[in-house]
Amino acid sequence: MTEHGFSDVAVDSAHAFRAIMQAMARPGRVTDLAVRLDAPAPLLASTAAVALTLCDFQTPVWLTPALRSDRVMHYLRFHAGAPVTPEIESAQFVFATAEEVLPAPELLLQGTHEYPDRSATLILQVTGFAADGVRLSGPGIRGSEGFGVAGLDARFWTAMAANHACFPVGIDVIFTAPGQVAALPRSTEIRIPEAV
Amino acid sequence: MNAPAYNFAYLNEQTKRMIRRALLKAIAIPGYQVPFASREMPMPYGWGTGGVQVTAAVLVPEDRLKVIDQGADDTTNAVSIRKFFVRTAGVATTERTAEASVIQTRHRIPETPLAEHQILVFQVPIPEPLRFLEPRETETRTMHALEEYGVMHVKLYEDIAQYGEIATTYAYPAKVAGRYVFDPSPIPKFDNPKLDDCPALQLFGAGREKRIYAVPPYTRVKSLDFEDHPFEVQSWTEPCALCGSRDSFLDEIVMDDAGARMFVCSDTDFCARKRGEG
Repeated sequence: MTEHGFSDVAVDSAHAFRAIMQAMARPGRVTDLAVRLDAPAPLLASTAAVALTLCDFQTPVWLTPALRSDRVMHYLRFHAGAPVTPEIESAQFVFATAEEVLPAPELLLQGTHEYPDRSATLILQVTGFAADGVRLSGPGIRGSEGFGVAGLDARFWTAMAANHACFPVGIDVIFTAPGQVAALPRSTEIRIPEAV
Repeated sequence: MNAPAYNFAYLNEQTKRMIRRALLKAIAIPGYQVPFASREMPMPYGWGTGGVQVTAAVLVPEDRLKVIDQGADDTTNAVSIRKFFVRTAGVATTERTAEASVIQTRHRIPETPLAEHQILVFQVPIPEPLRFLEPRETETRTMHALEEYGVMHVKLYEDIAQYGEIATTYAYPAKVAGRYVFDPSPIPKFDNPKLDDCPALQLFGAGREKRIYAVPPYTRVKSLDFEDHPFEVQSWTEPCALCGSRDSFLDEIVMDDAGARMFVCSDTDFCARKRGEG
């Protein structure tokens, strides 16, 4: 049996997208994402909502080993119609969990200087957020703001700072936690404190 | 009871997903024009099909929508788009800027300052600021990739050489977040300063040209200029004839055959509230 997706596709995905868009427009700001759907473990309902809102037959997705179960793949194929690809370099959306070894951002689709939009989005499932961690600044942020994500170490932030250095090419990240979403677009400058 | 004749907000879900993906890229790359598969809409190109598609992709049922055409809520384009979304999305509407959660606009930014929770959707006829200087898309794309904007400065310089000042008064080019030169749509340059460091999210949709772009909140938007010819906005010698405002954008209205003229606020909501009617 497949877990059910959005009950009212048009309205539920509109609400989910508004939360995702506001998160992308305000990097590092944690936004509520209330969803009414079931998701096959270990996929969180919020991660599933992002998938069903953004993915379809036009967007190959790639899953990390923890998420690459038959149930999750069936769920994504059944509800989103999204092809699951074994090649990370052809995926438009890459789903990962913070507990795993993350794929290096430079392995993902980067886009080109002519078409920087032809790049991948990393959907990173985490357990929660913290107020302190790194300092973010750039478009969408008034001055600078602190942002922390449970389970991510300095290596991740260093990789994302390198990702920003390549602007306008590079990847964007959407973090999903239980009932919450946040984002880190490539435009955001990241300052890593010494002690992270 | 019959089933509703339209999907929520008119567009089918696959179209909305495609537009939503483009919107997220547009927000992540401020000022870059993201190509999208613009659909035929039940209105002609030039009537805001780009803005309508963007609005349809971001609306939620709880939204309160305001639509303006050249600052006015009661002109044909604004009325028909507002009716379109009342019918297809069932959203509430308002004419008051402060009450709206989503504002679709043709060629103006409201005088009332926008807030963080608001989304401003612009209708865009020609999204490419370099198009009249370089007609080939392949070339303008390369120019954006290389950040090669010299030709735009030459154009502004030629204005100065010919007229003694920068003669561009609307669709005035600006640089977003220090990277992409963009066309803020045909808003008067009077509105350009409002684009800068705006708390609201600003989205731009060009239906015929199939491009979506964005200015995230609190983003630097710098109108192009020269050190010795700094960017300036229009000013008027007289106040609004209706509300007396001296700091809003005024329309010139010809009153009779004898050449009598009157200057009034272009933003009808702003003017009405100033007069205490709103």
